[in-house]
Amino acid sequence: MNTASGVHLEEQFSDPTQQREAATLGMWVFLATEILFFGVLFAAYTFCRVLYPDGFAVASRRTDMVLGTAETAVLLISSSLVALAVRSIKLDQRRWTAALLFGTGLLGASFLVMHGFEYHDEYTEHLVPGLDFNQTGPHARAMELFFCLYYFITGFHSLHVLVGVTLMFVLTVRVARGAFGPKRFTTLELTALYWHLVDIVWIFVYPIVYLVGRAG
Amino acid sequence: MTPHEHVTPIGRFIWVLVALLILLALSAGSALLELGTLNTVINIGISVMKTLLVMTVFMHETEARALTRLVSAFGFIWLTMLISLALFDVVTRSPVPAPWIDLG
Repeated sequence: MNTASGVHLEEQFSDPTQQREAATLGMWVFLATEILFFGVLFAAYTFCRVLYPDGFAVASRRTDMVLGTAETAVLLISSSLVALAVRSIKLDQRRWTAALLFGTGLLGASFLVMHGFEYHDEYTEHLVPGLDFNQTGPHARAMELFFCLYYFITGFHSLHVLVGVTLMFVLTVRVARGAFGPKRFTTLELTALYWHLVDIVWIFVYPIVYLVGRAG
Repeated sequence: MTPHEHVTPIGRFIWVLVALLILLALSAGSALLELGTLNTVINIGISVMKTLLVMTVFMHETEARALTRLVSAFGFIWLTMLISLALFDVVTRSPVPAPWIDLG
């Protein structure tokens, strides 16, 4: 069914606003499962860090704080770009929307490149548990736990960024082709919510991975 | 509904981005100071502040329906329960490491 404004309305909804609100609610239910997906990794991290505080501090000092900080800044900027993209489509500025989505995708891609450099450096420093890990000393086992969690947390996060980057580029093309407008932007809004959540996950990854035991 | 309804002013997004970057600088800077446990408290506190900024402004949570806000809060509430209940175990018992493992 199509309403007077040209928005496709599924028969179970009485108006487009209700339809959009239902979609947003559904997205948040999905995001809650994502929070808990990363949550178990954060819980495991907290558990291990309480048990081995010194080992985790030593291990965290081996990560690249400069790259980590740059990655955080890049994700924060990309989040504001995608928020601006949703704003632009509401104002029917399609060219701006496409440009902002493309910018978000590029920033996401640069995040992945920077993380690739980090993984490479850690590999050359023999810090990959199970593959190439040759640390010795009193904290070696705790460091192994830290880096194991590090790869699971950042690996799954990067996978989410990769999905987000792909979505951003696909949406750029769709916006340029005129698939969205001031009354039809639910897909854009939901993708933006996903991207913000990926950003929020990283907001917590940053201090627990890069900033432990940096003083002194 | 007019197309201009519910459109956040562009300035608010810019200010939030500036605030987020300042908070990032604060967390990086404070991590370099020797503050003990306070380092962790400050950094997690800053992360919570950043999250609240992203959720209220970028994710339009203040404009969302009560049900949507409730669902979005519950993901975090469950996570808090998960982590705190898991910690009850480690913080209330003395660790008994396996004799063949030396974790330091």
